[in-house]
Amino acid sequence: MKVKGRNILLTIMTLCLSLLFLFTIQPTHHTAYAADDSLQKIKDRGTIIMATSPDYPPYEFQVSKNGKSRIVGMDVDIMKQVAKDLGVKLEIKSMSYDSVLVAVETGKADVAMSGINPTAKRRQSVDFSEIYYNGGQSFLINKTDIGKYKNKAALAHKKIGAQTGTLQYNLAKSKIPGATVKGMDKNTDLVLALKTHKIDALGIETPSAEAYVKNDHDLAMIKSGYKLNKNETGSAMAFRKGSGTLAAAVNKSIDKIKAKHLTTQYLADAGKYMKVNTNNTSMIHYWNYFAKGIEYTLLISAISVIFGVLLGTILALMRFSKSKLLKAISVAYVEFVRGTPLMVQVMFVYFGVGIIVNLPALLSGIIAVSLNSGAYVEEIIRGGINSVDKGQTEASASLGLAKSDTMRFVVLPQALKNIWPALGNEFVSLVKESSIVSIIGVTDLIYQLNIVRADTYRGVMPVFIAMCIYFVMTFILTRVLNYFEGRMKHAR
Amino acid sequence: MQDKPLVEVKKLQKNYGDTQVLKEIDGTVMPGQVICVIGPSGSGKSTFLRCLNMLEKPTAGQVLFEGKDTSKFSDEELTVLRERMGMVFQSFNLFPNLTVLDNLKLAPIRVKKMSDKDAEEEARSLLKRVGLEEKANVYPSSLSGGQAQRVAIARALAMDPEMLLFDEPTSALDPEMVGEVLAVMKELAEDGMTMVVVTHEMGFAREVANEVWFMADGYILEKNEPNELFNHPQNPRAQDFISKIIGN
Repeated sequence: MKVKGRNILLTIMTLCLSLLFLFTIQPTHHTAYAADDSLQKIKDRGTIIMATSPDYPPYEFQVSKNGKSRIVGMDVDIMKQVAKDLGVKLEIKSMSYDSVLVAVETGKADVAMSGINPTAKRRQSVDFSEIYYNGGQSFLINKTDIGKYKNKAALAHKKIGAQTGTLQYNLAKSKIPGATVKGMDKNTDLVLALKTHKIDALGIETPSAEAYVKNDHDLAMIKSGYKLNKNETGSAMAFRKGSGTLAAAVNKSIDKIKAKHLTTQYLADAGKYMKVNTNNTSMIHYWNYFAKGIEYTLLISAISVIFGVLLGTILALMRFSKSKLLKAISVAYVEFVRGTPLMVQVMFVYFGVGIIVNLPALLSGIIAVSLNSGAYVEEIIRGGINSVDKGQTEASASLGLAKSDTMRFVVLPQALKNIWPALGNEFVSLVKESSIVSIIGVTDLIYQLNIVRADTYRGVMPVFIAMCIYFVMTFILTRVLNYFEGRMKHAR
Repeated sequence: MQDKPLVEVKKLQKNYGDTQVLKEIDGTVMPGQVICVIGPSGSGKSTFLRCLNMLEKPTAGQVLFEGKDTSKFSDEELTVLRERMGMVFQSFNLFPNLTVLDNLKLAPIRVKKMSDKDAEEEARSLLKRVGLEEKANVYPSSLSGGQAQRVAIARALAMDPEMLLFDEPTSALDPEMVGEVLAVMKELAEDGMTMVVVTHEMGFAREVANEVWFMADGYILEKNEPNELFNHPQNPRAQDFISKIIGN
């Protein structure tokens, strides 16, 4: 027994080490790839791919018109001009803000543009264009606090909110004495935190602040009063390291845009779209957003359930096989997958595996969720197989039935009945956990929910709706599962 | 019984870890013979029976089937061995996920590659033989213990074996159901089936067996014709065991 345990442990460690090896070797391989074909590649392809997080009006956000949603905003208009100058088409990939820089580093996109400030730290991992817009820094506060917080000095020792990983976050940390800085992923959540007085002020770019103040009469803004190096505070586009030719071409377009003061026009256009959006903030107006979210959530869940069960069954059979190698692979797989968060797995499949094979976000999401579910289903099936009385296998063997026939006709059907409730539980949690794929830009329900929140400036209502939708979906699923459970019972 | 032996057991040993369950077992089963194995619980009777069809692998010694060493059998040969040597268990072990009819049909179709139609015909005639033809389409959970065991016997017979092993076939039954199962077994014996029966039913052993083997502590301590063994046991352990059983 002891020897067996050690073997399995060894296999797991080997697996982990080889994964680590794979990781450390890939980036060096790429930096060594010196020749700069960044511009040529785009021209050959005829498309430039832009990664963005469309929850940041007026820079980028989604609007729906005639039932179709699209991404608009100043950044998009600038990028359209760039694409035109390069003579290529523009393709936009939307994802969470945390993911846009990773997307250019791993070659998922040519350029990341999402109101990104080119900080010194970021310059270490990506190349930046010139600053294309300098909106300046502000704070959003509650209108009722307007007398209390007149300037930056008044915010000392207060609670300041900012988007995680942004310049605003770092500035609040370093420049406001004694402040507690609370980081969140989305400005929509931060605004909600501000309105419910969980934070006292929110560090945000001036154009965004203006948009919020315009759309929400409970909010007010004050100038930040930060003294800043212009090169770090404006917004710039990010490219993968070593994209000199692309950066040079893009900078030419930016110079042209600046010379003609086109950004003023772009901002005004964005403002118009925002009006369209906020004119009607009733949730019915956004039903097609939610419908699309449901469609993707169901699609991911359904496919992942099927592949998860297939994979889980194979892994369970491997676990019961005579071959020590198969057994060890199965054990190592389950331990590894259960020991790492689904979120990390999703990012690994999209960005990590993406270095070798370029997988679309939806496929990556489905793969990651299926692989994850397979590990849990394996444990459930293994439990189910163990729960079948040993006498069943013996009776089957005494009749001369092969091991595979015994599994297929005798053990698995009985195991399935025993594990049905646990399996149903796994299906239900899969529907909910599939929401993680929104971080790589799959337009599932959670992703759509965040878009609606950004568009409508309403923090709570969309969340409530999504909650109801999830409940209805899982409730129906539970009924269906119960129906089959009842039928299986009937058969005995 | 002038033929060659069907099964020969030579110096059979079986250990579970450090525990020696079978210490040294020798015995011969001739075609057509009915042998009842009796003895106190924990004496290794069931283990011995399970070594005959290789549900348990012997630690040492040999089980010869028609002169061939079963421990050296390939998977295919093992399948053939089990086709020819059916087994009936104490707890029936019917497949609860299949109907009675499908319980009988599964092995003939999958192992003997019989057609569905032939298997069904055969299954129905066997159910008739054990008096349960009307139960063909029910699931095992709705059968009484006695009915379940008769179905289990029919399932073993569906493979058309030359020999049947019974592992305490009536021990899990309510007393009023023992009779119907023993009646079926008696009928089989009269038809010439070779049988090895581990049992506590002394009446059945006395009436049906050609030989009774008394087992204790991993040895066969005494073999004899039933009347001799029950009326004049030679071994002191056998005397003690039989006096207790018959005395009650």
